[in-house]
Amino acid sequence: MKKQLVYLLLGTVLLFSCKKEGCTDPIAINYNPEADINNGSCNYFSTTPFIIETPYGFPDMNIPSNNPMTVEGVAIGKKLFNDPILSFDNSQSCSSCHLQTAGFSDTNQFSTGIDGLVGNRNASTIINAGWNSSNFWDGRTTTLEEQAFEPVVNPIEMHNTWLNVENSLNNSEQYKQLFKDVFNIEYIDSTHVVMAIAQFERTLISVNSKFDKYLKGEVQLTHEELNGYAIFNSERGDCFHCHGTQMFMDNLFHNNGLDPEPFTDNGLGEITDNSLDNGKFKTPTLRNIEFTSPYMHDGRFSTLEEVVEHYDSGGVYSSTIDPLMKKLGVGLQLTNQEKEELVAFLKTLSDMDFINNVE
Amino acid sequence: MKNILLITSLIAFTFFSCEKPTQTDLTINFTQTVDGSDLTTNSMIYTNEAGEDYDVQTLKYLISDITLHDENGDNILIEEVHFIDISDESTFSFAYNDVPNNNYTSISFVMGLDTTKNISNKYVNEDFHLEMFWPETNGGGYHYMKLEGDFNDSLSGYGTHTGGTMGGDYSFNDIKDVSLTVDDDLGNVSIDINMEINNWYKTPNQIEFSSYGMGIMMNMPMQMDLKQNGMTDVFSVSVNK
Repeated sequence: MKKQLVYLLLGTVLLFSCKKEGCTDPIAINYNPEADINNGSCNYFSTTPFIIETPYGFPDMNIPSNNPMTVEGVAIGKKLFNDPILSFDNSQSCSSCHLQTAGFSDTNQFSTGIDGLVGNRNASTIINAGWNSSNFWDGRTTTLEEQAFEPVVNPIEMHNTWLNVENSLNNSEQYKQLFKDVFNIEYIDSTHVVMAIAQFERTLISVNSKFDKYLKGEVQLTHEELNGYAIFNSERGDCFHCHGTQMFMDNLFHNNGLDPEPFTDNGLGEITDNSLDNGKFKTPTLRNIEFTSPYMHDGRFSTLEEVVEHYDSGGVYSSTIDPLMKKLGVGLQLTNQEKEELVAFLKTLSDMDFINNVE
Repeated sequence: MKNILLITSLIAFTFFSCEKPTQTDLTINFTQTVDGSDLTTNSMIYTNEAGEDYDVQTLKYLISDITLHDENGDNILIEEVHFIDISDESTFSFAYNDVPNNNYTSISFVMGLDTTKNISNKYVNEDFHLEMFWPETNGGGYHYMKLEGDFNDSLSGYGTHTGGTMGGDYSFNDIKDVSLTVDDDLGNVSIDINMEINNWYKTPNQIEFSSYGMGIMMNMPMQMDLKQNGMTDVFSVSVNK
């Protein structure tokens, strides 16, 4: 009788003591015997952790706890990124519109999908995207995993179905083995496909530009570049409020005065359904900006000179234009020399290792 | 007998393992008013001392070294830096748990960051790192405050950006008397720290948005004027028991 009571109480204790999250799979290398709830963090024997060293002046990358980085996971992600198997007719991969030589964006104003249909926004770059707090020009997804779900099924892009992608991948012995080795799954599902792609995207880190070397004291900027830096980082050019820090972006949305109302593309406003957000788009990083032409969410400018000219003009009035763009009709009034200096500085953000690296 | 002891301790363990005993928790709230009324953003309904109509679209600011002082001259630091963003309700308050029993007589805080904290990349993992960045070429560190909107005909914007212009320290310490006796029976308590926005532009220095030019981040006299106005009457504190 007493023993039964003890067992009963022990059972109660187990039920009510704090539940702990962790990896509950005994065959994983990070198996946690104290964990009660599997949080998807299990890491298997065949994988090697992929360590991301936080670059100087960057926050720690926010990596989802259920998708830890592994060397092998990154490798599958890279393979998938370059494999047309994700598109319905096997004709396009992610890299068809996100070209490494263009900072993983498209040199065309708009990208053309497998059916010959054309979008209305310029393909986003994938540069230091692991630090994005949202993705797409309108910020409609939070994580890179969520982002990767969309182009595969978008009718004007890869126009596939995830069921079809899963079938194609599960028909491949090679992919089946790779996913088994890395994620310990028998059947490849869409969730693990986007996890692998996101792991690869988190490795696309650009921090070796001339400007970075200048900050480390390894090279000197020219007189012209330094003048451009001063314009960039003061209210003379007022670039830094949105493109500040070593990230060269603020993870926020702004209306930079491109168009009058009504907008043909409401950007963030289409997602939030708040008219105060109409005409606002996510600030892109300026790293490798020399290679990511054309510019703006709709790729309307083909050169950096045109971009500088836009900001110099002060932009076009609309009710949601950023207060800091309110030099309407006045503009920055930069001299031609100052404009050239600003462009010269922007080109110090080019990272040839990032653009050319074939690893 | 041994079993009973075991059972008793097991029960005690079960009940207390996830819960803490009750005590006084303090919530600090950050509120904002214009002419005494709660701030409404994106609405051209305000007029500053100089007679300019304006709205508020953006308000982000840093309050640091939030400290409670007791009657014996001792103090407890309850938060090193707190970032308030008017577009994010989760930043409007924070909690400090387990306030020690004592008679507290004042609360002090710093508007912005003093020079020991206002250092580039010091808060690289905080939410405000990207949004409050202040360029190294102008002293580095972080904006103390970004208060932005339109004025007059809405064709002009203003940006009241305060910070460590050219490496100077324009932050200021504000101390307010409070009467707060914390004992085991007090229950939860909150302190409101209110910013009266119009007072940034009023006493002793009347400030006009139309005098901002290309911006005020390099304008040392303007930073000093804003600091003086801020110290005069921008902040007020109230205790809610």
